[in-house]
Amino acid sequence: MNHFIRQLDDQTQRLLWVVSALALSLLPHVTHVPIWIVLFAAATAAWRIAAQMRGWRLPPKWLRIVVVVLAVVSVLAGYRTLNGLEAGTALLVLMAASKLLETKDRRDLTVLIFISFVLLFAALLYEQGLLQLPYMLVAVWLLTTMLMRVHQTTSRMAMGEAMRMTAKMLLLSLPLGVAFFVLFPRLPGQFWALPARAGATSGISDEISPGDVSELSLSSGIAFRVTFTGSAPPPAERYWRGIVLHDFDGRTWRRARGRFSTTPSVEASGPEYDYRITLEPNNRNWLFSLDLPTRWPVTRAFQSYDFQLLSPETISSPTSYRVRSHTQYTMTSDLPTMQQNMDTALPGERNPRTRELARALKTEHPDTLEFVQAVLQKFRNEEYFYTLEPPRLEADSVDDFLFNTRRGFCEHFASAFTALMRAGGVPARIVAGYQGGQYNPMGDYFIVRQSDAHAWSEVWVEGRGWVRVDPTAAVAPERIEQGLDAAVPEDEPVPGRFFGGNGMVLNLQLAWDALNSGWQNNVVEYNDTLQRSLFSNLGIDDIDWRSLGLLLTASLAVFFVALSGWLALRFKPRPKDPAAQAYAHLCRKLGSGNLVRRPHEGPVDYLTRVGTARPELRADLDELRALYVSLRYGPLPMSAQLSRFRFLVNRLKL
Amino acid sequence: MALFSRLLEPLRQRMRGWMRKRQGDDPDPVVLGSRRIYILPTALGLGFAGMLFLMMIGAMNYANNLALGLAFLLGSLGIVAMHHCHRTLAGLKFALATTHPVFAGQRARFAIALINESRQPRPELELTDDSLTSEPVRLDAAVGEPTRAVVEIGHPAERRGKVRLDRFEVGTRHPFGLFRAWAVLHMDLECIVYPRPSERGLSPPPHETDVGGAQDGPRGDEEFAGLRPFHAGDSPRRIAWKAYARGRGLQTKQFAGTTVISHVFDWDSLEGLGVEARLSQLCRWILDAHAAERAYGLKLPGVNVPPNVGDAHRQHCLTALALFSG
Repeated sequence: MNHFIRQLDDQTQRLLWVVSALALSLLPHVTHVPIWIVLFAAATAAWRIAAQMRGWRLPPKWLRIVVVVLAVVSVLAGYRTLNGLEAGTALLVLMAASKLLETKDRRDLTVLIFISFVLLFAALLYEQGLLQLPYMLVAVWLLTTMLMRVHQTTSRMAMGEAMRMTAKMLLLSLPLGVAFFVLFPRLPGQFWALPARAGATSGISDEISPGDVSELSLSSGIAFRVTFTGSAPPPAERYWRGIVLHDFDGRTWRRARGRFSTTPSVEASGPEYDYRITLEPNNRNWLFSLDLPTRWPVTRAFQSYDFQLLSPETISSPTSYRVRSHTQYTMTSDLPTMQQNMDTALPGERNPRTRELARALKTEHPDTLEFVQAVLQKFRNEEYFYTLEPPRLEADSVDDFLFNTRRGFCEHFASAFTALMRAGGVPARIVAGYQGGQYNPMGDYFIVRQSDAHAWSEVWVEGRGWVRVDPTAAVAPERIEQGLDAAVPEDEPVPGRFFGGNGMVLNLQLAWDALNSGWQNNVVEYNDTLQRSLFSNLGIDDIDWRSLGLLLTASLAVFFVALSGWLALRFKPRPKDPAAQAYAHLCRKLGSGNLVRRPHEGPVDYLTRVGTARPELRADLDELRALYVSLRYGPLPMSAQLSRFRFLVNRLKL
Repeated sequence: MALFSRLLEPLRQRMRGWMRKRQGDDPDPVVLGSRRIYILPTALGLGFAGMLFLMMIGAMNYANNLALGLAFLLGSLGIVAMHHCHRTLAGLKFALATTHPVFAGQRARFAIALINESRQPRPELELTDDSLTSEPVRLDAAVGEPTRAVVEIGHPAERRGKVRLDRFEVGTRHPFGLFRAWAVLHMDLECIVYPRPSERGLSPPPHETDVGGAQDGPRGDEEFAGLRPFHAGDSPRRIAWKAYARGRGLQTKQFAGTTVISHVFDWDSLEGLGVEARLSQLCRWILDAHAAERAYGLKLPGVNVPPNVGDAHRQHCLTALALFSG
C-alpha cells in the first residue's frame, strides 16, 4: 500500500489525504444525517478519486450548480429549515461532497479542509464524551498536516515528517488553548434560542404499572452521579426522590397533572446533606434529590406541593445541580382537603378483596401507624417474594398480586401497600425514584444506575405529616441495605452480576466511570460558577470578566514571549568553534577602533592592515595572526594556543 | 484587480520610500533581523479567523465546552503558525552571488545566495523583485550551505550597460498559508548587460597583430616547449598539474608549433556606423572568435585589451563593450 501511494503523483496523493481527513471528520455524523447523504458523499469521493487516477474530466460548471441547488432543496425538504444543528450538518456534508466534484487546485483543497474543521466542530456539538477528545485531537492533527501539505510548493516533505512537524506545533499551541479554555469568561444562558433536539426519554417514566420498574432495573445505564460535600447518609436513608404518583386506575399509577395545592410546612431535623447531582440526559423534566430536599437552586428548579423538584426545561444534556437535604423531617401543617381526597381515592369496583382486607385490618388497628405495621407484618410473615421476574398480573392487579402470585418487585409491593392504605382511609401515595447507589472510591462519589430504580409509599400520619414507608424493606431488607444484587435470587439477571465477583473488572469499570465523571463535571460542565469557584480556590474571590480579560491578555503575552524565545533557541545558528569565536571577539574589539574588517578581508590581510595602521599593536597582532592560522589550519590545534590567543585578545588596548 | 493595484501604487511607492529610509542600504552579506520582517494574515488567514470566530459564538451559544476548546486550540495553533512564519525569515543571511551578465534583449538575472546558519530548515521561501509582473522564485533554504536563487526582473534589459536591482523581497507563507511574512532588502545588486550582438555577416578586417609559433620548429604543434605562469583563461588541460603538486604554483605548459593568430577587433575599423551598431558588431566578432577558440584583442577609444583567449577574457571584453561610454 505504501509503495502504491509513493508511486502516485503529488496531486493524487494530496487528494487522497484530504479525502481521508474529510472522512475522519464525517464519520461522527454518519448517525446524524440521512443515509442518502452519507452515500452521496461516499460516491462523490470515490468518483473524484477515480477521475484523478484515470484522468477523467471534472463535471462542467452548470452540473455542479445543479448539484448544489438540489442539495439545498433536498435538505429544505427533509428538515423544513436550513437553521439548526441537524439541517446545518446535513447541508455541510452535502457541500463538502459537491465541493469534491470540482476540487482541483490548492484553494479547493483548502476549502475542503476548512469544511472538515467545521464538521468536526459540529460533531462536538452532538456529543462531548471523554472519547471525543482523543478523536478530535487526532482529526485536528491530520487536518492540520493536510493544510500544511496543501500549501507546500517547493519542499518535498515525507508524510511522517510533516506529521511530526504539525504535532510539535499542536503541542506548542496546547498551553495557550488550555489557558483560554480556563480563563475565557463563560456566560450564563444562550444568545439566541435554538430548536430543541428531540431525544428518547429514559429512566423512570411518569406512570408506573406492575413490571415497569423491574424492567427498568435490567438496565445498567447510569441515571445520575452524586458527590457529597461532607458525609453521605447511611445506605438505608439513600432514597432518591423523583416523582410522586397519585392517580390509580386499579393497575397503573399516574402523576396528578395540573393540580396545585399548598405545600405542607416542613420541620427538618438531624444532619443536613450537601451534595451535587450530575444527571444524565433523560429528556424528562424532573430532577432527583435525596429525600427530602430542603434547599435547591431556585433558578434551575421549583418544588411542587408534593416535594417533586421540577426543571423548567427538559434535561437533554448532562445537567448538574447542588441540593441540600434532610433525611429526618416532620410536617407541622394539616393535610388540605383536596390532597386528602386525592390520596384516598380508589377506583370504584376494582380490587374488591383488597378493600375487604384493608377494612378488616383497619378495624383491628384503628391507629394509622399500627395499621401500617400490620400490613408490613403481613408482607413480612406471609409468603411474599421479592423478584426481578414477577409474573404477569390480571386486570385487578392488587388482588392478583396479594392473593395469587405473591411474587413481585418494588412497584408491586408499593402499589399493594398504597392501595391497602387508601382502602383503609389513610392518605397514601407512591414515590418513584432510586434507592441506594454504588460508591466509587476513585472519585469519591456515588453512581446511581437505572438498576437502582425504586418505588415506595408515603402515608399521611396525623401530627407527623407524610411518612415514608418502604414495603419492599419488609420483604427484602437486603435490597435497601446492600442493593439489588443481594436481594433477588441468584439466577436472576441483575445487571453487572456477571462481573460482580471479578474485582479487577469492577475496579476498571469504576476507574473509567470516575474518569468520565471528572471529565463531565470539570470540563463539559465548566461554567461561570465553576470558573468562579476555581479562582476562589486560588485565593481570588469573585472574579469578574474584567480580571479574566486581564489574565487572558497576560497569558497571551507570556505565551508570545515564551514561544518566540523557544523558536529563537531552535533557530539559533550553530555554535562556531572556539577559535572562530575568539577571532570574532577580536574583530569586534578592533572594529570599535574604526578599523572595521572589510567583508572580503581574511584574517591574515586584516590583521596585517591593522598592524600597519597601529604600529604600537603590531607585535601582538603578528602573534595573534600566527596563532590564529595555526589554530584554524594547523594540524593539531592546542588548547595552550587557544588560551594564549584569548589572553592576547583580552589584553589588547585600543 | 488591475485597477485596484494601480490605485494602490502611490501608497506602495510611499511604503517603499519609508522602508528604504527606515532600513537604509544593506551590506553584503546581510542578516535579516526580526525587526524588519513584516507579517500580515493572508486572505486565507482572515477566513480562518472568521471561521474560528463563528465557531466560538456557536460553541458559547450551545454552552459546549469541547467545541469551544476546539476553537481555542485552532486559534492558538494560528498564533504558533504566525511565529513559525516569522521565524522562517528571521536570521536568514543574504549574500550577493556572482551574477551572470546577459545580452540586451534578454532578462536581467540577479543571483543571490541564501545562507541558513540555523539548525532548522527554512522552507517555502519566495524571492521576487517586487514588480507585479514577475513570477516569484520559490525555493527552500537548506541548513548550513548557501542556496542560490536567481531573481529575474520582469521586463527585459533593453539597453547595454548596468541594470541595478534596487530592492527585492523575500517572503514566505510557511507553514499553513495563513500568514505571509516578508522583508525588503536593498542590496547593491547589478547585472551587466552586454550589447545585443549584431547579425552574422560582416567579417572582421584581417588585422593580424601577433603571429607566433610557426617558426618554432618543423615538427608541428604539440611539442613541449616549457612552462609559463598560469593566466586566467588558460585551458585546464594545459596546466602542469605535476608541477603544481610539487608546490611550484600553477603553471601552464607551452607547446612549440602552436599557431597563434590573433585578431584585434578595432572600433576604428567600423567607421560609418553608429555607436551602438559598432558595439554590436564588435560583440558579434568577439562571440564568434571565442566560439572558434581563436585569440582576439579589443581596441576601443581609451580601452585596449591585448589578445588572449578564454572565458575571463571574453567577459572582460564584453564588459568593456557594455560599459563603453564614448
